[in-house]
Formats: sequence, structure tokens, C-alpha cells
Amino acid sequence: MTPALQVRNMSKTFGGVQAIADVSFAVAPGTVTALIGPNGAGKTTLFNLITNLQPATGGTVELFGQPIGALTAEAIAGLGLIRAFQTARVFPGMTVVENVAVGAHRLMQTPGWRQMLATPGARREERAIRERAELLLDIAGLFDMRNRAATELPMGAQKLLEVIRALMAAPKLLLLDEPAAGLNDTETAELSAMLSAIRDRGITLLVVEHNMSLVMGLADQIVVLDAGRTVAIGPPAEIRRNRAVIEAYVGREDA
Amino acid sequence: MLSFVQILIGGLLQGCVFGLLAVGFSLIYRVAAAVNLAQGAFCIIGALITSTCEQNLGLPVAVSCLLGVMGTGLLATVLGQTVFVPGLGRLPTSAMFILTVGILTLLQGGALVVWGSQAYTLISFSGERPIAVLGLRIPPQGLWMIGVAAFIAGALAFLLMRTRVGRAFRACAENPMAANLMGIGVRRMQLLSFVLAAVIGATGGIVIGPTTSFQFDTGGMYTIFGFISAVIGGIGSPLGAIVGGLCLGIATQLAAAYVSSLFANALALALLLAVLLWRPSGLFSSGAARREDVREETRIHRAVVRLGLRRGGIMAAIGAVLILGVIPWTLGSSGLMSSIIITGILFIAVLGLDLLMGFAGQVNLGQAGFMAIGGYTASILVVRYHLPPLLGTLAGIGLSLVCALLLAAGALRLRGLYLAIATLAFGLLVDSLSVGLDGLTGGPSGLVGIPSFSVAGFVFDTPLKNYYLVAGILCVVLAALTAGIRGGFGRALLAVRADPLAAAALGIPVRRYKIAAFCISAALGSLAGSLYGFYFHFLSPEMVGAPVSLQMLAMLLIGGEGTLVGPLCGVAVLTLLPTLFQPLALYKTAGSGLLLILFSLYLPSGIYGTLVAWLTRDRSPRSPLVAIERSAQ
Repeated sequence: MTPALQVRNMSKTFGGVQAIADVSFAVAPGTVTALIGPNGAGKTTLFNLITNLQPATGGTVELFGQPIGALTAEAIAGLGLIRAFQTARVFPGMTVVENVAVGAHRLMQTPGWRQMLATPGARREERAIRERAELLLDIAGLFDMRNRAATELPMGAQKLLEVIRALMAAPKLLLLDEPAAGLNDTETAELSAMLSAIRDRGITLLVVEHNMSLVMGLADQIVVLDAGRTVAIGPPAEIRRNRAVIEAYVGREDA
Repeated sequence: MLSFVQILIGGLLQGCVFGLLAVGFSLIYRVAAAVNLAQGAFCIIGALITSTCEQNLGLPVAVSCLLGVMGTGLLATVLGQTVFVPGLGRLPTSAMFILTVGILTLLQGGALVVWGSQAYTLISFSGERPIAVLGLRIPPQGLWMIGVAAFIAGALAFLLMRTRVGRAFRACAENPMAANLMGIGVRRMQLLSFVLAAVIGATGGIVIGPTTSFQFDTGGMYTIFGFISAVIGGIGSPLGAIVGGLCLGIATQLAAAYVSSLFANALALALLLAVLLWRPSGLFSSGAARREDVREETRIHRAVVRLGLRRGGIMAAIGAVLILGVIPWTLGSSGLMSSIIITGILFIAVLGLDLLMGFAGQVNLGQAGFMAIGGYTASILVVRYHLPPLLGTLAGIGLSLVCALLLAAGALRLRGLYLAIATLAFGLLVDSLSVGLDGLTGGPSGLVGIPSFSVAGFVFDTPLKNYYLVAGILCVVLAALTAGIRGGFGRALLAVRADPLAAAALGIPVRRYKIAAFCISAALGSLAGSLYGFYFHFLSPEMVGAPVSLQMLAMLLIGGEGTLVGPLCGVAVLTLLPTLFQPLALYKTAGSGLLLILFSLYLPSGIYGTLVAWLTRDRSPRSPLVAIERSAQ
């Protein structure tokens, strides 16, 4: 089967520093892959390379078999690869519900001028988007806040909002950068349930995460990065026993 | 050959003054990462104070000059302490631009009140007799200009590179937060750079004073040329500022001598646009560019102004009754009607500006340029080629769209600061072309004999008919824009404004949306310009010149940007108040500057935004159920 994401020999240098060195891995459709590693291992950089927010020095990325290395960030999102950022990037100056609705942009059929003429088709589409946005907000428990400015939400809610916004874009592959950072235990448990629900609906997930219990409970495959290199790739049970991983990552964190 | 060298020297002298102004820009940019568009006004204030000391108080030249510099320094200290430095702490870069436009307008308006609108000049420092050097005649004041410029440039270089203050300046530029933690009084340094730049500007103005005449609003021109010099040289670099000033001075003098003085400005601006598009960081780029990039990432925090469907509907209904019934019934025949029509026409142009600045977040300092293109194209086609007015108007819109696309193709790649200067240059370019192409446009005295607007034989020849024409167009445009803004189009624009990177990551084509907003804005500006001509039966460069761009900016900000209907408040305040209270007309410029400053600092969401925030404020206590749910979590 064609993998949802195939990363081959990815590398990136900043000046003389090798941030990512020859990283390769594949993500099977409908699974959760966790990307872990100590701080500075290059996890966020790898995300930026995959979504082409930063140009790679070498290597290729394929999304469902299609090479995307030469595409712009917009075009990549257009193919269904959607990401959420490490620090939530909700849009200031917009309400909560607008922040969610804007996620549906890549799916919109009516061009701007038809929206301006308020054609029946444009209005129907707009109503559908609003309804879907409000439904997602209801599921996430943010419905009461829908007409507030998004920046008024507490940090945890903003991160949740960003995940919902990404879901509005009907992603095929969803990239999440430390979704549990800054969340308390209850919120983390809710997030975990939500992520597995997303996976069960056939959306492939690639998640950078530090919270090991979340990762071990959720991931089908774990990729361990250290200093820009892959230390290990495998299912959680295998990673847990891997000596190199314990030395590179777990050992250091315990110290 | 000799005359060529003579022209070169003239350019060099002019360039020295541009260079001094540019140094001021660079200094402030280095320390505060902001562009101070009031820079040129300090020049003129210095020269005006000196002139008063010489002419009215009869003080010796040297004392007058000293008083001029000190007076300007004092004024700059007050303005820096109360306006500029507080603004730096709370406004994003683009809003700082507008704040300094406010300072510029306030200073010009203040000068108008104090010194009136007549032209002044200064006494030469050391006689008028030219000094002959190798067969070339150099006015002694020219030597003063070169000497003062060289001294200030040298002293500034020493200050920046060799002293503790200079090191502190550079630290503030690199990282204000870290500088603060290291015990550097960042705010004090920002104030110091602001005052120092003003003093340098005043010195430049006083030194050039004897060779030229100046009046209350000459400062705007100095600001523009100083800013252009700084950008050509590479903003933030003091050496680049001087070199940029010299290049610009020589280029304008050569153009004036060999082409036409009417086109000198146009060529200078074309030069700037070329430099901007090929080498946006200028001839000498400075390390400050990194800082700009960092700043660009800081998020804008803006109030969310949403009236909601029900309240919005009520407002729209009240507005419709007022516009279609009450106003024409009660004021139909009064003298106020004309001002109301002008308000409506300007509002069309400001609506475009609002879409571009308030929603897409792109600074445009040249909206009046599109008004001029639309106005002149339509008028010329109708007056000289007897085209129907509607076709003329459409042709104007077409030409504006072509210009907008050309400008956008290059300029929208540029960010913040550079986009602003490119649009400013565009507005000035159109401005100087409309003066320069006098065979076509009637030159400075304007184009006369423009007929009334007419469609299919129906002539809009009375004020009331014109009123309904403008009101009708406004209703259609407003309805279309409101519908677009409420839907995906508006959401995409807001997202692009708030965070282009995150918008792109959601698949929003950022560039396409910016260009679309720019084109709509240009088309509306153009339409307003055409209507202006048809209504007044007359069009002059003054009516659609560069200062009008800045006025429309003030209207937008005061009314409330990003709200579509809000700017109407701003347009109405600045257009109707001076008409209603004639004695206020003298204070109009100063007043609009002051309002611009007050609104940028204290009411950034404008009259309308503040009103809506008050209307929609949370009055209901939380329902007990929600409170219980909250505490359970």
C-alpha cells in the first residue's frame, strides 16, 4: 500500500550546523506516528521541511505517492496535508467561530465575487461551513465562546481551537506539533481520546510530542530523533526496550 | 562640460540636505525599528523658528540658528515623550507609520496656525557672493551645507561606533528586551534618537534655508525625499543615508536640467521604484534588516469588532432611511449638500483603503494616486475625445487595475516598510505626472470643462441627482463588500493579515488574496476620482494629490479600520466639521493630525469600533449553569 507520507534522506543544514541528517521514514495511512526526541533534536525543523515552510537541503517527501518537495506551503495544504503549530497560531482579530471556519477555505467552491453577489450557492455553502464549524466547536466544548475574540481563550483552548481548525480543512494527513504541551492531565486525557477518534475516522496523524504516556498509548509507530538523526523506528513496545533510545532520550530526561 | 559639472555641484548640495534627513531616518530606524515620517516637518519648524528670530526679533544669524535648533529639539522632546515613545511600546510597525503621519500633520497644521501659509526664507550665513573654485561658481551657503553635512555625518559615525551611547543604541536595535534586561534605558534611548534626529533635521533645514523658500507644508516634501534617500542607501545605515541622499540630489538635478523640471520628481521616484524592486534592502544594507524580520513575526493584537446580524440589520435599516430619505429631504437644497456629496465620494475611495489596510493588512500610502488615474483618464476621455462618461469611468478603472497589477507584482513581494514606501512613491509619481503632463491634464492649474456624469441620456446635473448617484453607488459597493467580508473571502483576508504563514499552511493563496484586495481598492479609488471630476466639472492635482492619500489614511483610522462602515465616521468628521464651522478651517490640518495621534494611541479601533464595543459589551451575568460547569472542570 502507498504510504500516506514517505520521507526519504531528508537533510537540512543551517550554516555549518547539520540540523537534520539523512532522515527517512514512512507513515502508513490511518495510523498515528509519533516523532519524539530531546529538545533540539530537529523535530519542528523536520515538520517545517515536510510542509515546505523551510527549504530542505536534500531529500524527498511524497504525500500518498506524490512528490511535494517542489510545491509551495499553500499547494501542499491543498493536497490535504494540514499542520498545527507548536505555539497555537490562532488568528487575532477574528472570533472563535471565524477561526474555525477559515479552516474550510481550501474546500470552498464559490469564488470571492460570487460571495459578494450573495448568490444562493454562495449562501448555502457559507451556511454549511458555519454549521460544521459550530458542530466541531460544540464537540470541543468551545461553543459558548464562539463569538469571542480567539485570543481571549486560555492557551489550552487555543491549542484545541487550532486542532479543530485543521479538522475543518478535511485533512488526509494531520501534523500536530506538541499538542499536549501546556495542558493539564485532564486536558491531556481528553486530547488523547480526541486524537484516537480522529485516527478512527481515517485521518493519518504525525505528532511531535514529549508526553511519553500519551505517545505510548496512542502511537502505532514511533520515530526517535536525536541531533538530527533517526535513532530508532518501531512500535511503542519495541522503542520502550531500545537501548539507544533510552540512552539518547529517556535517560537524559530522567537525569 | 562646465555646465554639467555645475549641475553636478547643485545636485551635490541638494544631496547633502537629503542625506542629513536620511541620517535622521536611519538613526531612528536603528534604535526603534520605526520610520518617523515627521522628520521633514522638524526641518521646516527649525527654519521657521530661525526666520522668526531673524526677521521679527532682529537677532543675529548665529543666535537665531541656535535658537531654531534648540526650539526644535525642545518640541521634539515633548512630542517624543508624549507620542512617539509611548507609541513604540504598544503599536505594531504599520501603526507606527500612521502615528508619525499624525505627528507630521500636526506639525504642519501647527505651523500653518502660527506662521500662516506665506513663504519664508533665511539670511545667508556669509554673504551671497559666489566663490569661484577652478572656474566653477559655488555659493558660500553651499560650502556651509557640505561642511555641516560632513561634520554631522562624522560626529554621528563616531557616536554610533565609539561611544557607550552608540553601543546602547545598537543594543536597542538588535534586541530591545535584552537591552532592557542589561540595564539600558530603552525608552530613554528611543527618545534620545528621536530628538537627535529632529535636531539633525532642523540643522539641515536651517542650513538649506537661505537657498530656498519654504512654508508650513514644505516638510512633507522633505520627509519624502529624506525617506527615499534612506531607502536607496539602505535604511539603518548612516553611510548609506548620505550616499543615497547624494544619488537622489544629483539624479533630480540632472533630470531637471536635461529633461524638464516638471519631471524631475517623477524621475527621482521612478529611480526609487527601480531600486526598491531590484535591491529592496538598498545599496548599503545594514544589520537592522534582521530586526525587521523579527518584528514582522510579532502578532498584531486587534479588537474584534462584530456587530452581529440583528444589530447590523437594524443599523443598516436606519442608515438606509437616513441616506435615502432624511438627508435629501432636510438638506437637499442647503449648502451642506456639496460637502455631503464630497464625503460620499471620498468614502468610496476610503472603503477601498479599508479593504486593503483593515482587512488584508497592507499599508497603502498612495490611494489618491488611483483617484488621480481614474479622475484624469475619465475626464480627458470625455473632454477631449467626447466619450460617454460611463465609458470614461470604466476606462479609468481599467487603467487603474493595470497600474495596480504592475505595482502589486513587484510591491506585494515587499513587506511592511518597503510596501509603504513603494505605494508612497507611486502616489507621488502619479502626482508629478499629473502636474508634468500639462498638455493633457492642464498641469497645475487643472482640467476644466468636465461635463456632468450621465447614463443613457440621463444627466446628473443637480446636487440632488449627484447625491442619489453617489448614495446609490455606495449602497451597492457596501452591500457587495459586506457580503464578501462575511464569507470566506473576508475570513481569508483577515487570516492573511493576522498570520500569513499560518494562513498559507491552511491552503490560503496569500499572494492572490493580497493582489485581489489591492485591485479592488484601486478600482474603488479610481471610481471615486472619476466621480470627483464629474461632480466638480474640474480636476486639479491638488484635489487628488499625495497629501489626500494621507488625509484618507487619517479618515480611515479615526473612523475605525477593518469595519467597512466605520470609516464613514472619519470621512464625515474631517470633511463636514470644517464646513459647518468655518473658523475651524484654519485648524483643520492640525486637528486631523491631533485626532490621528489620539486615535492611534488611545482608541485604535476608531469611532465606530469603540461604539460597537460599547454596544456589544457583555452586560448579562453568567448563567448559573455555565458557572457550575466551569467550577466542575
